[in-house]
Amino acid sequence: MAEGGDVEWELSKENIQPLRRGRAISALHQALSQQQDGVSSAINQQRQAFESEVRMYEGDDPLDVWDRYIKWTEQTFPQGGKESNLGTLLERVVTRFTDEKKYHNDPRYVDLWIKFAENCPEPLDIYRYMQAQGIGVTQASLYIAWSEEYENQGNCRKADLVYQEGFKKCAEPHDKLQQFHKALQARVSRQVMMNVEEDDSDNEPKQPERVSLADLKHRGKKKAIAPVNRTGHAIRSISGGLLSHGPSVLGNASNSRLVIFDENKTESAGPSEPKLESWVAPPTSKAKENEQRPERWCDVKLPQKSKYGRTVMAPPPPKPTFQPFVEETDQPPTMTPCKINPAVNTVLSSRKPCREETPLKRLQEHHQQQKEAESGKLQEQSMYCKELLLSGATEFCFEEVRAERYFKKMAQESKEVRGQKDEASASTSN
Amino acid sequence: MTSTLKGITLKGSAELVAEFFSFGINSILYQRGIYPPETFSRVTHYDMSLQLSTDPKLKNYLTNVVSQLKEWLFECTVQKLVLVITCLETNEVLERWQFDIECDKSAKENSTPREKSIKTIQDEIRSVIRQITATVTFLPLLETPCAFDLLVYTDKDLAVPEKWEESGPQIIDQSEEVRLRSFTTSIHKVNSMVAYKRTDSV
Repeated sequence: MAEGGDVEWELSKENIQPLRRGRAISALHQALSQQQDGVSSAINQQRQAFESEVRMYEGDDPLDVWDRYIKWTEQTFPQGGKESNLGTLLERVVTRFTDEKKYHNDPRYVDLWIKFAENCPEPLDIYRYMQAQGIGVTQASLYIAWSEEYENQGNCRKADLVYQEGFKKCAEPHDKLQQFHKALQARVSRQVMMNVEEDDSDNEPKQPERVSLADLKHRGKKKAIAPVNRTGHAIRSISGGLLSHGPSVLGNASNSRLVIFDENKTESAGPSEPKLESWVAPPTSKAKENEQRPERWCDVKLPQKSKYGRTVMAPPPPKPTFQPFVEETDQPPTMTPCKINPAVNTVLSSRKPCREETPLKRLQEHHQQQKEAESGKLQEQSMYCKELLLSGATEFCFEEVRAERYFKKMAQESKEVRGQKDEASASTSN
Repeated sequence: MTSTLKGITLKGSAELVAEFFSFGINSILYQRGIYPPETFSRVTHYDMSLQLSTDPKLKNYLTNVVSQLKEWLFECTVQKLVLVITCLETNEVLERWQFDIECDKSAKENSTPREKSIKTIQDEIRSVIRQITATVTFLPLLETPCAFDLLVYTDKDLAVPEKWEESGPQIIDQSEEVRLRSFTTSIHKVNSMVAYKRTDSV
């Protein structure tokens, strides 16, 4: 390979998603050189070929086409993104074969599920769903991916439990599972060791976290420049909010969220500053477990905690006991002048999300529908080959399907004709 | 003497190349996660920040290899240096970083310094190391614990030093090869290349 050609991948290294299995360098070069002029016709043709193969496949291993299609997509679109359609493809393939028991523990199918899960906002839910459906329960790769997800979220105990589950199910290959389990244990023990070393000297929190909205201490004389280190001592005391001008009291409570009630202090600060409130520190990033569901806030009253610890409801605004004076001549305009006739102009408002759509929900829905279809409860029945039109990542029209069939027939016929000719020529030569 | 500042001698070239290998090997070990990242410390060299191992055993081993290498570079008897990454459990070769060294043997007789400034050489070295760092974009993830080994190809008639032994080439079958940039001190030219196991797709 010429040296000039190598520069391409280095120039766009930030736009290449690393793959677990690595990339074929030739595919990468091709993809990057075609990148400038959008999705090229060659790529489109290949994609079209895969799309029609997915529909027209008649062998006994339809997963194979999908597997190749997805691998091709990964290699051809190094930066991922929308035009790669990878998310849709993964979702399609995963839903397509959920009912095919023979694939449930096929390593290819399980790998596709794991890729799908990694593409989702909540991979753990997907893994649980897989387990419930019995997909990949005897495959070591499921437990490895699942455990890694737990580990990434910092839950090493659960990560270990997942491996135990895998051992219980006798997941294959056993030695691979064991190897990854050992690696996890090694990582955890190293982490613990390091934490112990740190904790020996002082009782700092185990993992100094960057607290959002935290003020930063100045370092040295340069006041304007924030220190790069935003953890530990670099964060100024944030427990005080308004109280921060009294650092002598709260000075050493740098990371505590509790403000201890101090009788002497309130007396001094009492009536002159009635608005003095203790601000609870902002939640740390780990607080995701207690995430609040969105709900109506219009009639919710926020109990306000005062400095004194009692709960005080905000007093309702008092009704004025007097009639405000209105000048007789001052008649307010009945309506603001409107240039555009409101009846003609359609009013737009942004569409409200009716419900949350996650890939997992769609999956479950699909599953539900299929169950209903089996029991004959399904209300709709499509009288055309809906499956064929919609089964790929993009939609086909009837003509495309028909053309595909036609070409296939033609190919077969020409083959037959050629065969006959061959036969004929063979017989004449005899 | 101003002339020594401008030109480069065989000794200086050997030192520069050996230094490159020391930093290069350290960066590969760091980038590929052969040793835990906390055992590395950051240093600034070639106007870029590089990771150097602090593991005493590893440091010792690398110093030994590099000083031996420097000798061979000075004698112009070394042809290749290969860093092999193998799976710890199965001993399968997963990655092979190969640095081909072309020595200009005429420099041994003719000791006049060559015209090339250290700065340009270091610029070239920097771009090689940058490229080594950038290879993570296409290299497969090393999922298992790995070990590494260094192989040096020398001229045939060379006597094997006490601490070295002969070894096989440790070539990956079905590999994908990517040529990286090269640099030259005008006495030693180093071509780099990485080979890794081919993906089963496409």
